[in-house]
Amino acid sequence: MAANGEGEGPEARPPPPSMPQPTRTGDFLGKHRLSAAIARLNQEIQFLEKELNELETMETSAEACKEVFLSTEGRSDALLPVTPGPENPTWHRWFQRVRSSHSRRWWTSKGSSDIS
Amino acid sequence: MSFPELKERHAAATATVNSLRERLKQRRQQLLDTDVANYTRTQGRTAVNFSSTDLVCCRTLQGHTGKVYSLDWTSERNRIVSASQDGRLIIWNALTSQKTHAIKLPCAWVMTCAFAPNGHSISCGGLDSACSIFNLNSQVDRDGNIPVSQVLMGHKGYVSSCQYFPDRESHLVTSSGDQTCVLWDVTTGQRISIFGGEFPSGHTSDVLSVSVSSSNSNMFVSGSCDATARLWDARIASRAIRTYNGHQGDVNTVKFFPDGQRFGTGSDDGMCRLFDMRTGHLLQVYAQQHNNNEPDFPMVTSIAFSISGRLLFAGYSNGDCYVWDTLLAEVVLNLGKLQSSHEGRISCLGLSDDGSALCTGSWDKNLKIWAFGGLRKVI
Repeated sequence: MAANGEGEGPEARPPPPSMPQPTRTGDFLGKHRLSAAIARLNQEIQFLEKELNELETMETSAEACKEVFLSTEGRSDALLPVTPGPENPTWHRWFQRVRSSHSRRWWTSKGSSDIS
Repeated sequence: MSFPELKERHAAATATVNSLRERLKQRRQQLLDTDVANYTRTQGRTAVNFSSTDLVCCRTLQGHTGKVYSLDWTSERNRIVSASQDGRLIIWNALTSQKTHAIKLPCAWVMTCAFAPNGHSISCGGLDSACSIFNLNSQVDRDGNIPVSQVLMGHKGYVSSCQYFPDRESHLVTSSGDQTCVLWDVTTGQRISIFGGEFPSGHTSDVLSVSVSSSNSNMFVSGSCDATARLWDARIASRAIRTYNGHQGDVNTVKFFPDGQRFGTGSDDGMCRLFDMRTGHLLQVYAQQHNNNEPDFPMVTSIAFSISGRLLFAGYSNGDCYVWDTLLAEVVLNLGKLQSSHEGRISCLGLSDDGSALCTGSWDKNLKIWAFGGLRKVI
């Protein structure tokens, strides 16, 4: 409604707002896309319901936690301060003298914090 | 059916999906009766105890003139390939620190690189939306560059990550900003399968990371900006096997646990998580304590497990590199605070094949090799 105070006859009143009228093609495409989206959602619903059913009989997390714990035991690990054997001698190669063929630099021995 | 009726159906289906997701979330929560740390404490274990000089930086690989974005070890002979913002790949002998190859890439915007299992070729990808393969044994061209031997084209967005299947030289999986992962035959250059995209179970945002299981080579896991990780069977493209929820931000990195039955994730939400592949259970959260005054806590950019799985290495956007005791969910060392640590964000990490060394790559343009230099007790 005009609020500018000017006198306006009823025929000058703006029509009520309406949705823009889609073309027939636009309408078809919109319905097609929407149908496809609904089909995807329905498929997702099926998968989610299947997963919910699965959870009805699924064991709790305790068993998997135990498996994680057991899997790390008994495996030798070069980066651990305490590790089951066998210790592989090649683990020490990072601290052994290596002669570079390009320069005559020698890596310093174990215990140094920066060897570059 | 009319358009308004279809819209109503769509709204109803969306509401059903949301309600089912909420029920799933609650049901899953009920099944979490313990986590790895609580279980480990009942077994009387204490955290790994490092002295400050145990894990040392024993090499600094200098040569890139831009941020390091990605790295990968070969399975033997101590070689590493790294990719950088400088538009180059460098192949290093990590033991001698020598550069054995430097490849100037046709597209400088590289994000990821990987070594083929035989160590003879490497792949890389980035903003060109393609994955380029280089055979290291090929003859260099007139400019001294190794020519591209194959280009894998088909992604409609950037290639964020790539990994070869360990027992199949010719198969490579990539993750992409186009929300899909793709399995490629590197020999023919053809796409074998597309994971996600049109199917409802695919990621709904950029995929940032991918990890192939070493124990079941048909399975791989992906991490995405949609805050989920998804498990895929390489033989079944039509649907993700499982979706893993929980993170509150982009999942930047995924890595299988050494037993091949679990995997870790790292996210923009600052946390790492350990998920059980088969059940989908969240087994552990690895979260830093952070100062309440800090509005943003550091994001996890990259993770790797030590060879036994006892240690979880996590690189963060603030340059920290936490060493987590995987079993007790405690930080036992911060490589970012040691002498000779990187001066910038850790963007990538990886363990050597024998687990004796960790390589970290950083926005400070360097790579560093870390190994155990203390007194080891063998039991």
